[in-house]
Amino acid sequence: MTAAYRLFALPLAVCASLAQPAVGAQTPHGIDADTGAQTWKAHSHGVALSLTQILPDQARAFYLNRGFSAEAAETYATACVFMTVLRNDAAPGTVGFRLADWSLTAAGNARPPRPVDDWLAEWRRRGLSETAVIAFRWAQFPPEQEYEPGDWNQGMLSAGLPPGSTFDLTARWQVAGKTYEGELSDVHCPR
Amino acid sequence: MSIVRAKSLFFVLAGLWLVAAPAVAAELPPLTHVLTAVPTGRPAPALKLTDLDGKLHDLAALKGKVVVVNFWATWCPPCRREMPSLERLRRALPDVVVMAVDVGEDDDTVFAFTGTLNPAPEFPLLLDLNSAAMQAWKVKGLPSTFVIAPDGNLAYRAVGGREFDNPELIDQLRRLAGKK
Repeated sequence: MTAAYRLFALPLAVCASLAQPAVGAQTPHGIDADTGAQTWKAHSHGVALSLTQILPDQARAFYLNRGFSAEAAETYATACVFMTVLRNDAAPGTVGFRLADWSLTAAGNARPPRPVDDWLAEWRRRGLSETAVIAFRWAQFPPEQEYEPGDWNQGMLSAGLPPGSTFDLTARWQVAGKTYEGELSDVHCPR
Repeated sequence: MSIVRAKSLFFVLAGLWLVAAPAVAAELPPLTHVLTAVPTGRPAPALKLTDLDGKLHDLAALKGKVVVVNFWATWCPPCRREMPSLERLRRALPDVVVMAVDVGEDDDTVFAFTGTLNPAPEFPLLLDLNSAAMQAWKVKGLPSTFVIAPDGNLAYRAVGGREFDNPELIDQLRRLAGKK
């Protein structure tokens, strides 16, 4: 974990104190009958958010097929990965967010999800091919984005926690200079 | 098709099935047909790439036409869902040029995937092997789609999957092309 990564804790705390609280609340989480993968969803201030577990076997297969070494694929597959969807359904304007402003709380510690740039640096250190690194980059949930009404993304997001860990996620976004939040609680890392 | 090519496609197809697996677990969000207008006077970035057959395509040569540029990849679930609707759009509006830019994948992978689609795309599938075009167009996530007006300026953009053959969207592009 980089020092810069840890330094996000204070700005996160400041963001949290200024943001509009989440409304609409989390819906009960669902379980895929075929794979057993669990999904957590929330809808808040016109924005829909969901996390679906990507099981380690699924992540391994994906990255081995994209040119990852077995060791690198294993590292990512066991780093608590979720298929993440954020969507501007009916927010009162353009939704802008940075994952660096999101807060993931596990065992009393709050920090953002592990940054994509950290992962990219790790893959390059390990000597993965540029093709594999490009595939990884674009398969991830965007580190920052702007959504007009109807816009959305679906991508992988790593909590960077051990398999089976639980955490609460507070997603934050801005609309016309105002910060809003959506929350998912008691999310379980895939095993 | 040669045996080597057939074997290669078999493994690519097997790989596509595997890489699609994470998407199956997720309940898929609905596709919409909303396009966001881009403020006027912003020229489209350059786009000059080869397709699966090695033929060069240059966006600059298409001035005077409405062009839809879709950035995608075979492993991207919403990209996979919206791709057939791009072909239906092309068939509904033959004067509109549709081009899809795949990021980081080789021609065998893209060819094998598109063969599984119904309808299969008959528009150019361009290869952005090093993601340079994606970066030039400031794409932050897949899929992202841009509509270029006949004057070469950006007209609309869409982030995330869409139903491109929705009648309202087709009418929107028909009007942009200057046809009633």
